[in-house]
Amino acid sequence: MSELPPTTSLRRWLVTTNHKDVGIMYTITALFFLIFGGVMALLIRLQLWEPGAQILSGLAYNEAVTAHGLVMVFWFLSPLGFGLANYFVPLQIGADDLAFPRLNAVSYWLYVLSGVMFAISFFQGGTLSAGWTMYAPLNVPMYTPSIGSTGAILALAMFVASTTASTVNFLTSIHHSRAEGMGLMDMPMFTWSMLATVWMMLFAFAALLSVAVILLSDRVFGSLYFSATEGGSLLWGHLFWFFGHPEVYIVFFPALGVMLELFQTFSGRRLVGRKWAIIAICLISVQSFLVWMHHMFLTTINLEIKTLMMATTIGISLPFDLLVFALIYTLIKGRIQFTTPFLFALGALLLFILGGITGVFLGAIVLDYEFRGTYWVVAHFHYVMFGGATALFGGIYYWFPKVTGKMYDEFLGKVHFVVFFIGFNAVYFSMFLGWETPRRVFEYDPAFQTFHQIGTIGAFVLGGSFFIMFYNLAKSYLYGEEAGANPWDYTRTAEWAIPSPPPLENWDGRPSYASGKLEFVQDAVADGGHADGHGESHLDEYPYWDKHPSHASIWPFAFSVATLIFMIGLSGVRDSVSLSLGETLATTALSMSNPVYPVFAAVGPILMVWTAVRWGTEDFYAPPTAIAERWPFHGIEKVKLGMWFFLASDVIVFGAFISAAVFIRVNAGWMNWGPITEPLPGLINTFVLLTSSFTVILALVFARRENAKGLLASLGATILLSFTFLGIKAWEWHHEVYDKGVTLTQNPHGDPIQASIYYVTTGLHGFHVVIGVLIAGYLFVRAARGYYREDQRPLEYFGLYWHFVDIVWIFLFPLFYLF
Amino acid sequence: MIESLILQVADEWRAQSAVFDEIFFVFLALGTLVGTIVVSYTLYNAYKYRDDGSDPDEKFDPPVLGELPTGQGGPKAKKLFLSFGLSAIVVISLVVYAYGLLLYVEEGPATDVEEDIEITVEGYQFGWEFQYPDEGVTTQNTLRVPQDKVVQLRVTSRDVWHNFGVSELRIKSDAIPGEYSETWFSGQAHLEEPLEPGETETYTAECFELCGSGHSYMKADVIIMHEEDYQDWYDEQLADAEGEDTEGDG
Repeated sequence: MSELPPTTSLRRWLVTTNHKDVGIMYTITALFFLIFGGVMALLIRLQLWEPGAQILSGLAYNEAVTAHGLVMVFWFLSPLGFGLANYFVPLQIGADDLAFPRLNAVSYWLYVLSGVMFAISFFQGGTLSAGWTMYAPLNVPMYTPSIGSTGAILALAMFVASTTASTVNFLTSIHHSRAEGMGLMDMPMFTWSMLATVWMMLFAFAALLSVAVILLSDRVFGSLYFSATEGGSLLWGHLFWFFGHPEVYIVFFPALGVMLELFQTFSGRRLVGRKWAIIAICLISVQSFLVWMHHMFLTTINLEIKTLMMATTIGISLPFDLLVFALIYTLIKGRIQFTTPFLFALGALLLFILGGITGVFLGAIVLDYEFRGTYWVVAHFHYVMFGGATALFGGIYYWFPKVTGKMYDEFLGKVHFVVFFIGFNAVYFSMFLGWETPRRVFEYDPAFQTFHQIGTIGAFVLGGSFFIMFYNLAKSYLYGEEAGANPWDYTRTAEWAIPSPPPLENWDGRPSYASGKLEFVQDAVADGGHADGHGESHLDEYPYWDKHPSHASIWPFAFSVATLIFMIGLSGVRDSVSLSLGETLATTALSMSNPVYPVFAAVGPILMVWTAVRWGTEDFYAPPTAIAERWPFHGIEKVKLGMWFFLASDVIVFGAFISAAVFIRVNAGWMNWGPITEPLPGLINTFVLLTSSFTVILALVFARRENAKGLLASLGATILLSFTFLGIKAWEWHHEVYDKGVTLTQNPHGDPIQASIYYVTTGLHGFHVVIGVLIAGYLFVRAARGYYREDQRPLEYFGLYWHFVDIVWIFLFPLFYLF
Repeated sequence: MIESLILQVADEWRAQSAVFDEIFFVFLALGTLVGTIVVSYTLYNAYKYRDDGSDPDEKFDPPVLGELPTGQGGPKAKKLFLSFGLSAIVVISLVVYAYGLLLYVEEGPATDVEEDIEITVEGYQFGWEFQYPDEGVTTQNTLRVPQDKVVQLRVTSRDVWHNFGVSELRIKSDAIPGEYSETWFSGQAHLEEPLEPGETETYTAECFELCGSGHSYMKADVIIMHEEDYQDWYDEQLADAEGEDTEGDG
């Protein structure tokens, strides 16, 4: 553990794990990506100034369209919401920090470096040009061959890794660290929206991760998923939109949460129908996973399923109706203050109403048949997603005094809003008027030229409006008036009860709502005991309970840099290494044309492992919240809870892989395929894995009995059994390749795609086993040095992971060896 | 009004464009109405209850810092459910209405299928190939059809995902490798006046799914012809195709 340097030092920002620092970095980085994506948008708008203009070539235009979509959706919208959430969710729930501060820092660094990776992809022969929806098979190297295309998808995968980490972190924090007396229903609405957001993210981003990994396997290793005519294109559509529809709400909900807060603060009224608004939010979160096929009404899905999806789609608009009405009625009989934040929140509501109404049009299948692929869709989702983001700018103005301690300039803020609102509607309403223009086309019908020109002018006005905000915030930060702790009249939430900016550890005393309102309790001695039945103490179990909390670690940053190196390496491996398959392994040759990429790809993982080990052995103390509300996960310790959340997302990852295997096989004709492997090695491997699960349990038992030899023996047995598993696996693959001629792309006995599915799915499982071996090796060395006698939890958590990997095998075995 | 619209069309052929225009009009009218009411109501109340600096009246009970959040109940909650119910009725009736017409669009007009022309549309980077019923008769980037037949299109792709759409005819279908999606149109139903011999009507087909660098230019002409002109043209194509076949055999 190192001390946290002051904010004026650059080192501070590289090592900080404090949620407020990370929140500030998230917000500023997201605004940077707003400019990045905005420049792309302006290039598009310039090209649309007249039909067939050639400022960019056809391919460059497609790259701009793709980069604009990806950057805005992934690197701007979500992270802006997460910037605010990082800063304010812990404050709103009365926590000292997020549950896993270093994990939070790694989320940020993976996020910003994945953005760097994406920017690099422009210089690797051009970035991806397949649209942000990346429809298959345009997304495979045969049609988008540049290294940068692979780089862009690797950047996306890296971004997903970042969101997975923050999802686990937020879920654990909100479910584990709420102040005493704050039940789930008592949480502020912004926190509620974020909770719903991260629950959706847990499952949606897992689906995106698996689809990105499958695509990368196609692009880097050459498997055949998305070029397969046995449903490869539709597989992409289903998996992508299973993520893609919840994603709409994932980017909208943080903004909704800001709206719900700001409407209350600036009207001096409490939310109307609060309970029902929360129920609506939960309903939307669940239902968001049941509407995805409305993006695919024109594919070959049959009428019954389309009708069902139409019903669920229309159904999901109803809870939104309720939320909109709840917001409107909250204003009535209030004392509404038209401050800049409120103007943005109100503007967001108006824009969202328009986005919602035009969305109902799209829900009607007959209309959707015509709107598909046109500017109607473009206009609609900008009104919903960017309209929502309007509230996030309101959030920035609202919380700016809290973060900086200075008041922003109200006049400039209002000017920003007016210019923004006019520009916004000029760009996107003109799209409704010229809706018959196909998307992503610059050679359009001259009849629509006027609309597109209005749009282009509006886009520059809209883009320019942000410079008013940047100027305002920079000037106010330097010369603004002191804002004081609570500059607004009708705030409710805990962040306004502490100084601006808040101190490093947030609270003076322990925040508690036990009496029904916020109080700061001075616990006499942190003896860990607490008998009022509200919280549960883990302090007794902690050997280091009197230590001071840590706020600094360089390893999240170092690990992220290592990941970036690995990703850069992976992007070009396929172009610089060629494998020529011989008759046997000995005659198989590997030739290398350009050593840079392969070296990066080899060094990256080594650095990742090294930094991860340093991370693991670092003396870093994030104190468990001793007294907290944890419903519904009352008895579960913090790290274990995080582990469960992570495993839940991993279930979706494997679920998507298995679904992909089943989907392709059904499309190819289920009975046309038999297993390409012999059952015996698979059966042996099943027993090997199950036995290794048993030895992990033994390890835990020995550790609890403080039996060092037993602990080392059973951990060692686990490692040996894993190597046995991997050895049999290697023999099996060798047998398939050299005796039967079944490779990733060739299958003499049937469809080649079957071979791809076999290698990729069992390969993903094998990768999980390898990670397990690495962790087990780490535990073994640590156990040999005398750890885990007093605190066996790391063993237990590894056990959870290991059992999960075994359970997955139970599903893979019949799928690939028996049927 | 809605019922009468459905009754009118019961046993008459309607082009997809007519069906679309009707639903679009109904949605647009209701959408504009609802949108105007909701937005005006919001703005009116935001203005009416603005903070004008006067002293708050006694009943004003603002939230205070640090309270556990509660909601507002009472008459406002009732109003919330009333407006929710109303919006639900509007939305659901719109969908039920649109669903009736969806069934028509999916089925196509009740003609004798034997009489229809079935044409396969194959998208490729970057153009459209049209395959006519007789083997070997294909055209590139021009689809000619007689006005008196219902044209059934089976749309697929040779390489990447495209989308075949003709805006004026209001037809659209995904072109996916390995899949065949279907749509239909009929010159007779779409045209206001039947064509005389020698007359044609031309529409533009475009690609509506990003498919690569030539996406913007991926267009085709859809030409509706008088049935006799079509027959002459088709016979010529057929003769050419057979000629090529014999050459190939020789």
